Amino acid sequence: MPEIRVTPLGAGQDVGRSCILVSIGGKNVMLDCGMHMGFNDDRRFPDFSYITRNGRLTDFLDCVIISHFHLDHCGALPYFSEMVGYDGPIYMTHPTQAICPILLEDYRKIAVDKKGEANFFTSQMIKDCMKKVVAVHLHQTVQVDDELEIKAYYAGHVLGAAMFQIKVGSESVVYTGDYNMTPDRHLGAAWIDKCRPNLLITESTYATTIRDSKRCRERDFLKKVHEAVERGGKVLIPVFALGRAQELCILLETFWERMNLKAPIYFSTGLTEKANHYYKLFITWTNQKIRKTFVQRNMFEFKHIKAFDRAFADNPGPMVVFATPGMLHAGQSLQIFRKWAGNEKNMVIMPGYCVQGTVGHKILSGQRKLEMEGRQVLEVKMQVEYMSFSAHADAKGIMQLVGQAEPESVLLVHGEAKKMEFLKQKIEQEFRVSCYMPANGETVTLPTSPSIPVGISLGLLKREMAQGLLPDAKKPRLLHGTLIMKDSNFRLVSSEQALKELGLAEHQLRFTCRVHLHDPRKEQETAMRVYSHLKSVLKEHCVQHLPDGSVTVESILIQAAAHSEDPGTKVLLVSWTYQDEELGSHLTSLLKKGLPQAAS
Amino acid sequence: MESAEDWLVESLRLYQDFHAFDLSEATRVLEWIDDKGVCVAGYESLKKNEILHLLLPLRLSVKENQGLFPERDFKVRHGGFSDTSVFDLKHVLDTRLLVTSGLPGCHLHVWQVTEDSDVIQAVSTIAVQEEEGSLWPRVAVFSSMAPGVLHGARLRGLKVVDLETQKTTYSSGVGDSEELSSLQVLDADTFAFCCASGRLGLVDIRQKWAPSENAGPGPGPGAAARRWCAEVGGRRRGPGPSIASLGSDGQLCLLDPRDLCHPVSSGRCPVSAPSPAPELLRVTWAPGLDDCLAISGFDGTVQVYDATSWDGTGGQVEPVFTHRGHIFLEDNQTDTAPLVTTHTWHPHKPRTLLSAASDASLHVWDWVDHRAAC
Repeated sequence: MPEIRVTPLGAGQDVGRSCILVSIGGKNVMLDCGMHMGFNDDRRFPDFSYITRNGRLTDFLDCVIISHFHLDHCGALPYFSEMVGYDGPIYMTHPTQAICPILLEDYRKIAVDKKGEANFFTSQMIKDCMKKVVAVHLHQTVQVDDELEIKAYYAGHVLGAAMFQIKVGSESVVYTGDYNMTPDRHLGAAWIDKCRPNLLITESTYATTIRDSKRCRERDFLKKVHEAVERGGKVLIPVFALGRAQELCILLETFWERMNLKAPIYFSTGLTEKANHYYKLFITWTNQKIRKTFVQRNMFEFKHIKAFDRAFADNPGPMVVFATPGMLHAGQSLQIFRKWAGNEKNMVIMPGYCVQGTVGHKILSGQRKLEMEGRQVLEVKMQVEYMSFSAHADAKGIMQLVGQAEPESVLLVHGEAKKMEFLKQKIEQEFRVSCYMPANGETVTLPTSPSIPVGISLGLLKREMAQGLLPDAKKPRLLHGTLIMKDSNFRLVSSEQALKELGLAEHQLRFTCRVHLHDPRKEQETAMRVYSHLKSVLKEHCVQHLPDGSVTVESILIQAAAHSEDPGTKVLLVSWTYQDEELGSHLTSLLKKGLPQAAS
Repeated sequence: MESAEDWLVESLRLYQDFHAFDLSEATRVLEWIDDKGVCVAGYESLKKNEILHLLLPLRLSVKENQGLFPERDFKVRHGGFSDTSVFDLKHVLDTRLLVTSGLPGCHLHVWQVTEDSDVIQAVSTIAVQEEEGSLWPRVAVFSSMAPGVLHGARLRGLKVVDLETQKTTYSSGVGDSEELSSLQVLDADTFAFCCASGRLGLVDIRQKWAPSENAGPGPGPGAAARRWCAEVGGRRRGPGPSIASLGSDGQLCLLDPRDLCHPVSSGRCPVSAPSPAPELLRVTWAPGLDDCLAISGFDGTVQVYDATSWDGTGGQVEPVFTHRGHIFLEDNQTDTAPLVTTHTWHPHKPRTLLSAASDASLHVWDWVDHRAAC
């Protein structure tokens, strides 16, 4: 039975640890390989035993696809490929390929150096893992093998994020990864064509939310920065994700200009260096055929924003500084934080999620006394603000995407079924599709009816046409033929042609029936009577009287013979082939009714 | 839009906090479910409408450490589908039941919100007096041991129906065909009504129909075309007017319940009158501020007034604040400007309001009172 099977891997239904197994057309694909950031033990990894218990993963999986560089989508990749073992291809977009190893290495450092974890992947493992990566471009159809092909679509969200279409024959699945349908300042919105997949798999973490507008989020950010600067405070904004930093810079610059503000804004050196690299990735990525819904400007030239020097941190008066790394776990941002933390006029704005163990995570949990190196205690008096800038699709966004792609079915992952019954009904009613919500570890099986193309021989078609009766567009027409399957090719030909091609001899099935007639005359006369009778009754058929005394109706043979014991009875032998079954039966019943009395 | 950017910068000064949401369909109702969530519902006539129970972003509920709550989004806690349009929705206090009313106006619908599912289920319907055309019954709820639903489109059809037994426990029993504009339950035994003509009344349901009422605002230019709505406020302290009555020409009257015939104070609001949609007129008292009112239904704004500063002569009064967000943040660029369909005050944050408009926008805003600067 043709079917598509989907299993989200891992236990629990929290956010993070995106990893979905899809079986389609006999191929097995793993979508994303994320880490759950809330756990410190093996629970943070997906449960790969669902794939296979004792076989090699490489034998079982045809490919792995990574949607974007966030750790909850790629964090377990080196563990999976180097520690569990997988040597097949790993597909991702070019920017993802460039940024992933940086993030993985950062994460590894925090886990091993800060938290002292033992069983963690090494730097070398990250490198070895990335060697297995095959980078793809947007809208480029990539042949994984003869039957499996994949294609990436623009997803917005972060640099390099893509939605992937996986296709085998006429069956296809689209996996969205994380995406957003409302454009942001530098990345725009996700877009997909009306590809009509059998199944659309989408994250539903934010499916039951209605998002506050981007403008109000930006307003909130500006307000906070403005208030701090007005009271003479210093604002630290730790960033990693280049792109998010750019976006906030554009925002501040516009605001500073409009309000004629004088406080300096700095961009740390670490960021400036990465900026060029980022810029190149960004330009290629966003120039590929995507809908341009965002403002085009040079993201890296600012009037009010200057390069930072570590000496500036001690300057009096207000200022705003963007510094790396984003979770305050090391480097320049941590240095600056330590200098400014003691003053309540200052402010730190955390723009995203922080991994456990980092200073960022601690202050976001409300901690105000931090133990630093050398047992020094740092008292945090500065204002701590947590702002969420990442763009995800909410309920409205999901409906929009379903409307664009027009799938036959929809599958929501990472939601709690009880809390999404309404959304399920909404999707089912509006689009008339089935909506599935499997728990992690639960397999959803979708029956599909793939269309198999079959070539019909012209001769066969012509013969059907010759039967008379033009084809009716509304009614199915029964066609008899022989299906030849050869080299993934299907052909429907007439039986004769099939026999010829295959070099087989045709079997003949012949039926014979005996009809007893009361007739004392000689066989030849009986035969004559039969002939005249049939000739008059079966006007549309060819009835012939052969020289040897037998009568033929089309290809059916009728012979008259004397009954062995009763001279008054004649036996008619009626014989016909399988093809003439209908006529043969008809003739037999006709003859059984008897012959009209002879005239003379 | 350049002006949207300007307005946003200006908004830094005007608002303490500001959230803007886009619902999938416009709503005319904003009904609080305890103080953490509101219900909204669609009012289109030819399709299925959604009823949603939304939870406010956490940061609007917490008192401390607001900065540590990054979530600014509404959460759809429950949702349901209604075949009819919803013009009014009331929560039955201390229960999980909602009552809705709309067109066609021959039934009220009762819904249930459950804990273990996020779907709002239809429970029952209450048949009401058949009304012709575009009239629909106003609804208010008597919350008690045995909740009753007060409803009616005209004075003559006013009834209280026991929610569980569906038996009529009170009937106005009058033949008056005056059209109702609003109904409001005041306590276990009293309710207030306001007719479209401006006629106000307070009714004690323990007695046969004998409301203390006025005859309606006197004749004046265009009096017949005016439409009124009213709200009784829970006065926080002291004597004074606690009933506000708003006319579609922009006139706002304040009345004392002891003497409905003579308004204590009145003023003319600077609005584009007459209102293009008088049925959407709404006047509300601020639960946390003395003598403060908000009005909407004339255009894309919500205006806040402080009645203590009025001289009461009926002349022009100025709002202390005007919310213009629905006009400036309008994304759709349609020809028709958005119209505010309803608004409501936050139960305990004194200057926070929610407002909804015809373009399906929903705003939560906390305005800054610049007069308070010393």
